Amino acid sequence: MKKRMMSILLAGCLSMGAFAGCGGGNGAAGGNGGAGGNAGGNAGSAANVTNDYELITVEGSTHQYKKYKDMTTENITLNYFHFDQDETVKLLADRFMKIYPNITVNVQYENVANYNTTLSTLVSNGEAPDIIMHSDCDYALSNMLLADVSAYFNSDEETKNLADTINSAGLGTYNLEGGMRYSVPVKFFPGAMFIDRNVLETLNLNVPTQNWTWPEMIQLIKDATVLDSPDGMAYYGLGYYNRLDSYYGIAARQDIIGEFGFNGKTFDLADWAVGEQEFSNLKIGGYIAPVTETQAMEDWCGDWEGWAGNTGHAAIFSEAFWTFQNTWNTPGYKDTYNLDIVPYVIPAVSDADAGENHHSIATIDYGGITTSCQYPREAYELLKFMSFGIDGWYTRCEIYADETIVNAMGTALKYDVMPVPITKDEGVWEEYIKVFCAGMDEEHTQLWRDYFKSCMQPISFGWTSIAGYWNFCDQYFNSIGIHDLVDAGTAQAADYVEEANRKANYYHAQAMLDYFGPNAYNVLTEAEIAEYEQMKTDNQ
Amino acid sequence: MAETKKLTRKEKKELKERMKHLKSGKLEKRYARVGYIFMIPWFIGAAIFLAYPLGSSFWYALNNIRITPLGRIFNFVGHGNFTQILIEDPDFMIYLVDYLMSTALSVPIIVVFALLIAMMLNMKIKGKGFFRLIFFLPVIIVSGPILGMLNAEGAGSVSAIDTAALSEAIGSVLPSIIAKPISDVFGNMITTLWYSGVQILIFLSGLQKIDKSMYEAAKIDGGSAWECFWKITLPNMRSMIMLNTIYTVVFISNNSDNPIIQLIKESMFSGTKEKGYGYASAMAWLYSIVVLILVGLFALILMTRKDQYEKQVKRAIKARKKEKRNKLKVERRNRRNARRIEKQRAKGKITTHNTKREDY
Repeated sequence: MKKRMMSILLAGCLSMGAFAGCGGGNGAAGGNGGAGGNAGGNAGSAANVTNDYELITVEGSTHQYKKYKDMTTENITLNYFHFDQDETVKLLADRFMKIYPNITVNVQYENVANYNTTLSTLVSNGEAPDIIMHSDCDYALSNMLLADVSAYFNSDEETKNLADTINSAGLGTYNLEGGMRYSVPVKFFPGAMFIDRNVLETLNLNVPTQNWTWPEMIQLIKDATVLDSPDGMAYYGLGYYNRLDSYYGIAARQDIIGEFGFNGKTFDLADWAVGEQEFSNLKIGGYIAPVTETQAMEDWCGDWEGWAGNTGHAAIFSEAFWTFQNTWNTPGYKDTYNLDIVPYVIPAVSDADAGENHHSIATIDYGGITTSCQYPREAYELLKFMSFGIDGWYTRCEIYADETIVNAMGTALKYDVMPVPITKDEGVWEEYIKVFCAGMDEEHTQLWRDYFKSCMQPISFGWTSIAGYWNFCDQYFNSIGIHDLVDAGTAQAADYVEEANRKANYYHAQAMLDYFGPNAYNVLTEAEIAEYEQMKTDNQ
Repeated sequence: MAETKKLTRKEKKELKERMKHLKSGKLEKRYARVGYIFMIPWFIGAAIFLAYPLGSSFWYALNNIRITPLGRIFNFVGHGNFTQILIEDPDFMIYLVDYLMSTALSVPIIVVFALLIAMMLNMKIKGKGFFRLIFFLPVIIVSGPILGMLNAEGAGSVSAIDTAALSEAIGSVLPSIIAKPISDVFGNMITTLWYSGVQILIFLSGLQKIDKSMYEAAKIDGGSAWECFWKITLPNMRSMIMLNTIYTVVFISNNSDNPIIQLIKESMFSGTKEKGYGYASAMAWLYSIVVLILVGLFALILMTRKDQYEKQVKRAIKARKKEKRNKLKVERRNRRNARRIEKQRAKGKITTHNTKREDY
């Protein structure tokens, strides 16, 4: 009996230890961390950027770099944790160390899929990096990873010349009344609609102007869909990677600062619903090309793993910005396929907005200084160099221009997810256009120039810039599968607007209180706390 | 030969008292010390790697935890994490049902397959060592990433089985919540069988311990191989079957490809405020309780029972003891009655028939 009991006990210990133990992370000491009391710290409160610098040149470059005089002369080390293109970041770090020889920069890369996991492990082991990138802001804010850098950012003259919405829409500030800034834009990929002009020519359709409108685009998609084409292979109006719902929702409103009609406090998904319904109607109507690894794709082009982007039978693409340099513009691709891909800004919804610079969706990854960073001034300078800084961008252009510098796959860095400068500095843009449009004729270069000029009103995807957005998607939007329901025609997008507004407002209010309230950063005013509490109650 | 004297209760008590005050010898003390020294590493290991993580994990489960660069922030939520998982997290319950179904199906498959292979490998065949290596190789090679790659290439299923048709057929008969795990088992048949390397080795060691004379005796009595399997092999392997079953349940439950393990990991590093280490710990505790129940059920089903012969012997001993007790009881009663009659007769209260006879 004793033996039996013992064996049961041991089996119990084995299974309990194996499973319950895995939730305990690293088994590190518990203990209460310092909750509350502005635990997030204020990296920029001690000093501002003086903008007092000397111009220096470094070996291997003709560019004159700003060396700021308020930087420390001590020998220090900064740890930069990122999911950017690793070879590029390492070269940027080398250049930064040449400008500031007393600063050692340790670069640590992790791919996006494992980024949060590795970062959490580092932080829980007491090895938090000094500078981090982040994609979803909820993760960074809920764990109070980011320090307030507003003093540095606001006093830095270079930040005045960023893409308009960075300052006007307060991207990275989470719309706090005190003007605190926790994140700065690191990687910028503007939204784009790509058109294959060869397809339009084949179908005898007119090429649209750069000032096109949303109805014109929808009409073009419909016109370019020819299912019974003479060559035996159907033509489709749209090959999609991104759905058009958020494209529409952002282009339609010039008074918002975030996805889903977010005005800084509340959401209004009415315009999103129009875009969602329009996209689903195109899908149901058969105007959208099949996606890869489907029977429809196999039936269309005879290849299960085919891609609409290389068939020469799809007119417009809602592909990510990087697809152009990564794929369409690579030497092998250009030689193999007969494509003439040109960029268009995401069209304005109203005629009035079409002639002006209007909002367009963009993929922006942000970064910040961690709350445990010992050298925030120096860390800010490094962060700037790696992201929006003019000197950093001159260096990037040098790196991208040299096609002998390759990544681990042997591809030149220009073709490996090259971002776009978010600064409006003309010198940087001249260099960038030279690199980006290398090998293009004057007409195409001009098209790209026009495109770049018209996409500098970016609004980033919600999860990167709106507190509680991810909670909303996780707990409501994705869990009920709105896209699938509308695509299947079993529901109308407009039916969800009221409920989605309430839910989004609730999760946002809750997140603001959780992240910035008394138990966390503690930077909300009493009026703000009361307002968010009320918002929570109203939308519960 | 000295006659053994049965001790009275008083004497037993005295002996026990005396034993208590007896000092153990040096050798005995040394043995005891060495015993403790041998046990210390286990105690330290268990305290650090089992008890402490278990305790921490349970404490985490009662809190909402934020891991900040300035330290961990614990907000006590009591059973909040548990209720949220059970009430608001649809994924957990779905994955749990899937897990229970697929485990209940794949554990018998793995154990039976391992037993069959072990029996074959125990036979007199050429290249026995090579075949053992072949069957154990997947245990070494098929670690997480490689297994993932092989599965991605479709190597996890038997190509001869039309899994799509099978899934469709099962789906048409059973509700999807039951049909899906069953289809998954068929879809990952090769993977499932690859998991049986360790079990084969355990069974092999068990098979080699069975006394060969039992088979010889059975064959002399005309027992077929089939009968030998049911009457000798299987009863002797029962404890090994239980061991392998528990091992397989724990292995499957703790496998990195298990969706619940993935879910726990995702929750641990989730950006959503409600989740995090505390939520993941609560999920891990709930999961571990379910696994424990499953292990308990398998153990109850397969727990070694004493064989019939032993049972019969015990029953006979018990019956003999009872008979003896009854006999003694009757004897005692007879003696008591005899004494009472004697006393009454002495007082002249009883007139015996004998006297009367004498009178005749």
